[in-house]
Amino acid sequence: MSNPLEQFEIKPIIPINIGGVDISFTNSALFMVLAVAVSTLLLGLCLRKRTMVPGLAQSIPESLYEFVANLLRENVGVEGLKYFPFIFTVFLFVAFGNLLGLFPYSFTFTSHLTAVGSLSIIALLFNIGIGIKKKKLGWLRTFLPRGIPVALAPLIVPIEMISFLSKPFSLTVRLVANMTVGHIMLKIIAGFIVGLGVLGAIPFLFDGAIICFEIFISLLQAFIYTVLSCIYLGDALHEH
Amino acid sequence: MPQLDFSVFPSQLFWLALSFFTMLFIMSKFIIPKTAEMIDLRKAKIDSDLEKADEIKQHVEETLQKYNNALQEASAKANVSLQKTKEELNETISRRQAELYARLKLDIEAGEKKIDASKAKAMVKVEENAAVLAVEVLKKLGFGGVKVKDAANAVKALDEE
Repeated sequence: MSNPLEQFEIKPIIPINIGGVDISFTNSALFMVLAVAVSTLLLGLCLRKRTMVPGLAQSIPESLYEFVANLLRENVGVEGLKYFPFIFTVFLFVAFGNLLGLFPYSFTFTSHLTAVGSLSIIALLFNIGIGIKKKKLGWLRTFLPRGIPVALAPLIVPIEMISFLSKPFSLTVRLVANMTVGHIMLKIIAGFIVGLGVLGAIPFLFDGAIICFEIFISLLQAFIYTVLSCIYLGDALHEH
Repeated sequence: MPQLDFSVFPSQLFWLALSFFTMLFIMSKFIIPKTAEMIDLRKAKIDSDLEKADEIKQHVEETLQKYNNALQEASAKANVSLQKTKEELNETISRRQAELYARLKLDIEAGEKKIDASKAKAMVKVEENAAVLAVEVLKKLGFGGVKVKDAANAVKALDEE
């Protein structure tokens, strides 16, 4: 049986090295680019013919739009709609990263700490930028909420800093763990199909069921990642 | 586990940032405005249609109000006219009745007078006849020579008693 972890191996396709830093174009990078290309092309095709009464194709981007807009409205408020493109992109990027990874022989970049972590770092920097732009120096209040005695600052500030930084970390680990476990399970059960001969039909059907389940998980995890991003964005915008 | 290999981090970060910001650019410049445009247009259309419907509804309500007012007015007018006619009729009836009563009263009075006159005439005749009868009775009893005039006076005296 092949190693179920083999599918997560990152292999460089085009080695690039700039100033001693390895930024090779890897299979992971390929699927990031694919996620962008596929999602853009799909939505672009759906929007090719636009009518007042939307057809099936047109209603796909429109439902996505309304879905993300509602998410922002509920979790951040109306002022959150300013950051709609960011959240919309996060959702689609993660969703397509997850879904593309389900194709056989593909690569799931959302199962990598380094990839999702990078996305979470971008989101974190985005939140910090918005927070500072909105509250100026008052943003530092994030680490020492109003109403807390200054004497407690040495205790509270490190705790708040840890909680602030653990948010993107938990965001990352949740997505990565979900994707990794799903793919390992698929791979292990797929390994039985050939080994069991005629009886391989059983793990084959089981794998099919898991794939359906994984499609659901892919969308659910993209949704959770987006909702939590919205909530952290709301924290950056409002006092708590 | 390949997931824990952090040596690929620079490459992952670089390509993720590149693809993510490319996607952000495409989404915010093309996909989102195109989607939002249609949604906004539809929303504007629905809103304007609703407004129009509201206007029409208001118009209908106004017309209905006008109709009801007219109906009420007409009914009031009809009632007034009916009342007037009724009063006129009543007046005519009572006038005619009064006239009839007056005429009947006159007729009755004239009849009574006639009856009284006849009665008086008859009474005179009866008195005359009574006197003549009395003379005749006396003559038969052998008391001739009693004048009719005296007999008449006696009868009259009898009457007056």
